[in-house]
Amino acid sequence: MEKEELKQKIIEVIEKKIKIAGKSKVYLKDLQKDIPGVSPRDIKNAANELVREGKLEYFSTGSTVMFGIPGVGMGLEAGTEKPKEE
Amino acid sequence: MSEIKKHDTPLVDQLKTGPWPSFVDDIYIYAEKYKKQTCFDIMGQLELSYKNKETHWKHGGIVGVFGYGGGVIGRYSDQQEQFPAVWAFHTVRVHQPGGKWYHTSYLKKLCDLWDHRGSGIVNFHGSTGDIILLGTVTEQLEYIFFDLTHQLKQDLGGSGSNLRTPSSCMGKSRCQWSCIDTMAIEYELSMEFQDEIHRPSFPYKFKIKVSGCPIDCVAAIARADLSIIGTWVDDIRIDQEAVRAYVGGELKPGGNSHSDRDWGPFDIKKEVIELCPTQCMYWDENEKKLYINNKECNRCMHCMAVMPEALWPGTDTGATILMGSKAPILEGAQLSSVIVPFMRMEPPYDELKEVTRKAWDFWMEVGKNRERLGELIQRIGLNRFITEVLGLPAVPQHIREPRSNPYVFWKEEEVPGGWTRDAAEFRKRHPA
Repeated sequence: MEKEELKQKIIEVIEKKIKIAGKSKVYLKDLQKDIPGVSPRDIKNAANELVREGKLEYFSTGSTVMFGIPGVGMGLEAGTEKPKEE
Repeated sequence: MSEIKKHDTPLVDQLKTGPWPSFVDDIYIYAEKYKKQTCFDIMGQLELSYKNKETHWKHGGIVGVFGYGGGVIGRYSDQQEQFPAVWAFHTVRVHQPGGKWYHTSYLKKLCDLWDHRGSGIVNFHGSTGDIILLGTVTEQLEYIFFDLTHQLKQDLGGSGSNLRTPSSCMGKSRCQWSCIDTMAIEYELSMEFQDEIHRPSFPYKFKIKVSGCPIDCVAAIARADLSIIGTWVDDIRIDQEAVRAYVGGELKPGGNSHSDRDWGPFDIKKEVIELCPTQCMYWDENEKKLYINNKECNRCMHCMAVMPEALWPGTDTGATILMGSKAPILEGAQLSSVIVPFMRMEPPYDELKEVTRKAWDFWMEVGKNRERLGELIQRIGLNRFITEVLGLPAVPQHIREPRSNPYVFWKEEEVPGGWTRDAAEFRKRHPA
């Protein structure tokens, strides 16, 4: 699979997961499962390139990392807001 | 500037009463001196956690620096009204230099950076080996990253599903026992695997640690998915004069590390010969000479630690490559297993890189989410991992106790000439 095609496929898989399962963040392993026949290394490289292009973003707990589409689901400063200065 | 708000922390304050220097003292001294609300709030939140017996940190988020998928860990307080100064308290992991050597000017600059852009609280070093800068807010991250990389020439370390910052002991830079150049290996692997350190690549974390000798000061065998431990294949070097000096009491055993009380005269039989796990040593009282059956030595190095001036590792050196240790999340804690009993360690370490990549490729393909390499090895079996995945020959060193297991099941093709017995004929005489 060509790189651009793979990148498009990754976006499609994530969009589908959001639509069907309401799952806004996915693991690399989830992408591998849904894009069979492509090497995990190629998927990882394509997903990381999508982050650099701003089409995907990381979501990290510190121990593991997930990928999501910017603005969908938990975002930056998830569930937190900076308290107002008094 | 708003007024500083202090919190009552009676439980936390108890930590100041012990015999050792306390981080509570350190943080309060710093907080008072620089009027840092962050430090007062962090102690206030710690007090609340002690009281409630649960954490008040929530973690996770999209904090990071551009292009990097690791090195910054988002932390938020769930008590933001009470402790507003720590509403966000992100952790920054900084890639430590090989062997953790620093120039004081570097440390001063790093402290200045963190006074200015963070809480001022640091941790030297985290369990992976990185410098841990504790407590900053999202808006500061890019500035911190710029200053780190441009002024201090230091990179971020690994976190998340990335390769974690490789770590090593100080090796040949200070230690006479080091069999390999640990710092060079750490540096080379860090440079080679930059993408894996900074971009999420794996099902879970992966740690590399390099120890110069089997004493294993960085605990590679217990805490790294890939443990590289220096060893030797020739004979232990013996200075018989020095051995006699230990026996005669002129030299103090263990580098005089037990000088706090009188343990009596040094007894080589009791303290060395009888403690040798493979019983490969013999002290001839008449000849006043130490003999070692090197073939039986399993490199525990106890004898060298007790008589450091008399015994030294051999000079034909390399490393044992082990894989799979981890902390107890699934199936309990696990030590690494021997994969390659002896590998030469010459730059650019291609053989090491190749075996590492093979293990990664398989783990990326077959590993489950949040499954460490050690758990995968356990799931598929060590024999299959070594022979089928890595394509390495099975050798006696792969067996934990090769001398005590009499059961070896051979396949016919492994036996020269094949089977000589006829199973049907056998059954005629011995019905099943």
